[in-house]
Amino acid sequence: MTEIIQEHMSIYDKLNILSDAAKYDVACTSSGVDRQNDGTGMGNCQKAGICHSFSADGRCISLLKILFTNECIYDCKYCINRSSNDVVRTSFTPDEICTLTMEFYRRNYIEGLFLSSGILKSPNYTMELIYAALYKLRHECNFQGYIHVKAIPGASQELVQRVGFLADRMSVNLELPTAEGLKKLAPHKSRKNILTPMRLVQQKMQDNRQEIVLYKNAPRFVPAGQSTQMIIGATPETDYQILSVAESLYKRFELKRVFYSAFVAVNKDSALPARTDEGPPLLREHRLYQADWLLRYYRFEADELLNEKNPNFNVFLDPKCDWALKHLEYFPVEVNRADYNTLLRVPGIGCKSAARIVKARRMGILQFEDLKRMGVVLKRALYFLTCSGRMMYRTKMEEDYIMRNLLNTGEKLPDSVSGMTFRQLSLFDDMNFREAQVPEILG
Amino acid sequence: MKQVYICQDTIIGVFSAIHDAWMENRDDDSGIALRGQMMPKMFCEYTEVEENEQKSIAVERLIKKNLGYNAYWDIYHALLSDDCEKADAVYHTMLDARQIKDSKRIMEHLSNPHVARVFELSRKVGNEAHIFTEFIRFRELENGVLFSEIAPKSQVLTCIADHFTNRFPLENWIVYDQTHEIFLAHQARRKWVLVQGEALNTEAAGKISEKEGKFENLWKMFCRSISIDERGNPNLQRGHLPICYRKNMTEFN
Repeated sequence: MTEIIQEHMSIYDKLNILSDAAKYDVACTSSGVDRQNDGTGMGNCQKAGICHSFSADGRCISLLKILFTNECIYDCKYCINRSSNDVVRTSFTPDEICTLTMEFYRRNYIEGLFLSSGILKSPNYTMELIYAALYKLRHECNFQGYIHVKAIPGASQELVQRVGFLADRMSVNLELPTAEGLKKLAPHKSRKNILTPMRLVQQKMQDNRQEIVLYKNAPRFVPAGQSTQMIIGATPETDYQILSVAESLYKRFELKRVFYSAFVAVNKDSALPARTDEGPPLLREHRLYQADWLLRYYRFEADELLNEKNPNFNVFLDPKCDWALKHLEYFPVEVNRADYNTLLRVPGIGCKSAARIVKARRMGILQFEDLKRMGVVLKRALYFLTCSGRMMYRTKMEEDYIMRNLLNTGEKLPDSVSGMTFRQLSLFDDMNFREAQVPEILG
Repeated sequence: MKQVYICQDTIIGVFSAIHDAWMENRDDDSGIALRGQMMPKMFCEYTEVEENEQKSIAVERLIKKNLGYNAYWDIYHALLSDDCEKADAVYHTMLDARQIKDSKRIMEHLSNPHVARVFELSRKVGNEAHIFTEFIRFRELENGVLFSEIAPKSQVLTCIADHFTNRFPLENWIVYDQTHEIFLAHQARRKWVLVQGEALNTEAAGKISEKEGKFENLWKMFCRSISIDERGNPNLQRGHLPICYRKNMTEFN
């Protein structure tokens, strides 16, 4: 049946189906590798990555994100392409993928290709098809842009290696944060099957680094590193569990990025959370990304941000402010003396501004106006800083007091969180009334 | 009396004006204004500058030698912006660089208003140029040439030329700057060139190749299908991709 459908299907319909099926994959970054064109083909890569467009959900479109096929022998409960779903199935041919990538790239629509796939027949068979497509793209079309490819769990080591030499970034989806969740929702996948290729890519990258030292022109294996993603909110894990998993992935598997994907209910299934009107848990996803940055750039540990007793993020405050409020004993910090690591922990100071402070204070004593010019967000930082022993304003070092003020200036929260879908215009000031309630709500 | 030198809004023009002002009046009260973008003031003497490439090259060499390459980079980018006082800011930055001990560190003196202005303009142009490496869309014409139109505020063409030359070395492509009516043209395996003073042949630019419509439709459909409806957030989209850039983008037409 599928064969018949394929014969009649135009490339337009195929792209429609296979990009629609790929949209739940999160990663669309084109960063991590700098490569100049050698003058014989098309394309180059920039270390910082380039976004080319933004879709209606505000996510960037950097790569041509498609599935090779949406046929799948697996039956993962959360996935739109699971074998028990009745959806139109189709596959690209390697030629079609090459044409689309090259023609889109020429017109500066995209930065490269993101190729994922359902499992057609067997993991090895699928991986073989992906390899064929990438080989053609790299060697026949001479494409030198960015390629992000999924390693299929269960495919042979040798195949994963061969694909790795053609791609810039590889990723294996962790799917769900814990092994129990995986067993429940993706019965055909096992944790071991997922971690094996991840380890393989890590080892191969280490070997490759040494090869490159020896032979400058040795082929590069996954030069932009590997990443993974997991679904948030389909299983009952806490934020603490999720963040600990991410931390161990960064430490033990040297991942470049872990992506979090708010669960979108596309299937009805007794094992999945019931569909509600609230939509995907976007705020939770946002908090996890904020914490993820704290792990990677701010030298925080998962245990500092959350713990068994307090396993979920504060919905009202970002993780860094939340941490600072719970550790007021470290604050206020003296800008002119504190070391770089301490400065990094101050809410409102980022990596760049911390570095600028360390540099600039060699030339003279810093004042609050100088901090502002350096990019410090004073509306957050002022509760935690002193300049030459003085705070910016008279401030009480009390958790409640600071929290109230931070909430006043803080980020815009979704209406569902603040509980306010509209506000009556009033002669009376009802803002303070609400703020006074906040500590009560939080307990 | 303050001497004001008037020049065209081009790199050669401004550099020629700096050359004359520097030679004749660097120790007195002097300034530079752009033709057509200035308000005549009292107690000023205006001089038209004779522009030529020798003067421009001499000033370029002067800046690179005394202020260093990084400062030249900032000055060059600042002069591409659409600000009407950019030439004066650059000239005074150069004058002020003579007052400090190490002229090569002039761009670190951000408390100096002229330096701050040059720095700000340079960043503005650099950012806009980066935006166009992202949002430029080419269309294939009948003769196989890739053609793109943009409407930037600053003259970004020279900033993006190397990027696209490296990216598409085997293609013939043209980028047309509608605001300043300049073409950036690249012939396969050659270096890029800037073409000024030519009018756009709208008829030729409208003749797209046979395949072009098909790929435009594929791309438009892709942009729709890749978005997750449940996460819809047009404000976020507008923040990343402001409406003003969408005019020349395939997926928004």
